[in-house]
Amino acid sequence: MTTAPDLSTNLGGIQLRNPVLTASGTFGYGTEFAPFMDLRRIGGFVAKSLTLEPRHGNPPPRIVETPAGMLNAISLENVGVHAFVEEKLPEIPEGVPVIASVFGTEIELYAEVCRRLDGAPKVVGIEVNASCPHVKSGGSEFGQDPAVLARLTRAVRRATSLPLFVKLSPNVTDIAEMARVCEGEGADGIAAINTLKALVVDVETRRPSLSNGLGGLSGPAIRPVALRMVWQCARAVGIPVCGIGGICTAEDAIQFLLCGAAAVQVGTANFLNPMAAVEVAEGIGEYCARHGVERVSDLVGVVEFPGL
Amino acid sequence: MDRPLRVDSEVISNAAEGGANWRLVLRIAEGWPETQPGQFLMLSPGRRGRVERYDPLLPRPMAIFRARRTGGETAVEVLYKVVGRGTSLLADARPGDEVRLVGPLGRGFPEPSPGERLILVGGGTGVASLFELARRSSGRARVSVLLGARTAADLMGRADFESLDVDLQVATDDGSDGTEGLVTELLEREIARGGAARVYACGPTPMMRRAAEITGAAGLPCLVSLENRMACGFGVCLGCAVPRSDEGYHLVCRDGPVFESGDLSWEGLP
Repeated sequence: MTTAPDLSTNLGGIQLRNPVLTASGTFGYGTEFAPFMDLRRIGGFVAKSLTLEPRHGNPPPRIVETPAGMLNAISLENVGVHAFVEEKLPEIPEGVPVIASVFGTEIELYAEVCRRLDGAPKVVGIEVNASCPHVKSGGSEFGQDPAVLARLTRAVRRATSLPLFVKLSPNVTDIAEMARVCEGEGADGIAAINTLKALVVDVETRRPSLSNGLGGLSGPAIRPVALRMVWQCARAVGIPVCGIGGICTAEDAIQFLLCGAAAVQVGTANFLNPMAAVEVAEGIGEYCARHGVERVSDLVGVVEFPGL
Repeated sequence: MDRPLRVDSEVISNAAEGGANWRLVLRIAEGWPETQPGQFLMLSPGRRGRVERYDPLLPRPMAIFRARRTGGETAVEVLYKVVGRGTSLLADARPGDEVRLVGPLGRGFPEPSPGERLILVGGGTGVASLFELARRSSGRARVSVLLGARTAADLMGRADFESLDVDLQVATDDGSDGTEGLVTELLEREIARGGAARVYACGPTPMMRRAAEITGAAGLPCLVSLENRMACGFGVCLGCAVPRSDEGYHLVCRDGPVFESGDLSWEGLP
């Protein structure tokens, strides 16, 4: 092969230079990574989830390590959508696509955050964090009830003209059904998966290790579960799926592409290796070159499954 | 502040120093920024060179004991205690191995004014955060260093501090080195001698809480350097939050690890 592989990716109407994004809540507002990488070398990033008003988050302890993973209960500490638009966005270099993650305790609050992001420079898409506890449903996640998820997707669809992704909760029986619901309500893509609800107990104190009790499990520990769910989603819908869950290396990311993800997000790996996303993007290019793959999109969904 | 690096550093030496104490010296070939006393780094305990290891997953925050530049390269020294799986793996690193780190990180101790009287209070692994401050201040300020440990064998870096031109005092729980008792009792005694002083403390939370009480009662300024669980070290995981004295949280990694004691809500510290 003489020419470099084409890594450009169209993700639900967003044109990316490569299929590697970074996951919300693991990449701050982007500028924190400027010492370690040129942000233009990744496809883009999903910013920390935004609420209408700033949130302080949970008291410590907020994180605990688990085998090949970690549990967190940050409770979506964030600067609020106003400060994001006024203070954070201007600091992000030109040419770096930003997907804004939105979040609320009621459907109307999600929609209002979307409206506030309308026309914001550098914001190329919206990702709806459906793992938030829904106050009116007694605290279960928006993404755990297909009817609630449908209402949420419909409301944010009306509130924004930007490409719209719904980030699914894995804490469900049938994630494919949830993906179909979002597609039916006009989402441009699916992001999967969010963290798995989990628990660690300190046997000395006989209390949960996190102040919040339960937390969200992330990291390589969840990757095979995430891959299975992404594969199920990709088979269920025609809109693109962005694969997330424990991706640390290019090999990890390529598994997701082969199973039908049009793009991936690197999450927890950013904490232990602030250059992880760039290395994943470069590694995908090397894999394509080594295997004579001209376009990275040629890898998407080509996994050969016995009996299917 | 200079930009931190992510780098695979070469182990120059890694040796036990009695008790659970170990000293790791790493060579960074180029680009290590000027280090401020009190800054830290994140060390991946299990990764060696290109061989990844995801269990344990997270890097460990460690104080930079000392960073010495020779030509373009820098020797970075870390004192640690083998207490769990991560530090046990770190103790397995041999000279020539490559250990991944990110640093230098955080906001360190402010420089003392010429002629100022400093009282440095260190306990446990917190001792490591204070050495560079003591070394750089010893010529220009009047420095007392008060070190505490359970036993003589647990005390970290004693010989290093002895080599400095400082007033060194030691307290151990069992009296096997220095005074029998708590290092904060040495602090009370030192403050009782009167006069203005600035106190810098690093150690277990109960020790720093007591140092904050003692200095608060005496009307003296007190800076503390906090240790905390953290996943990243540069302000994105939000795991190292500690409650502010007003409302909301500081991040130990980004806003600290050094804080004015009055800026923290001591009841809520983990």
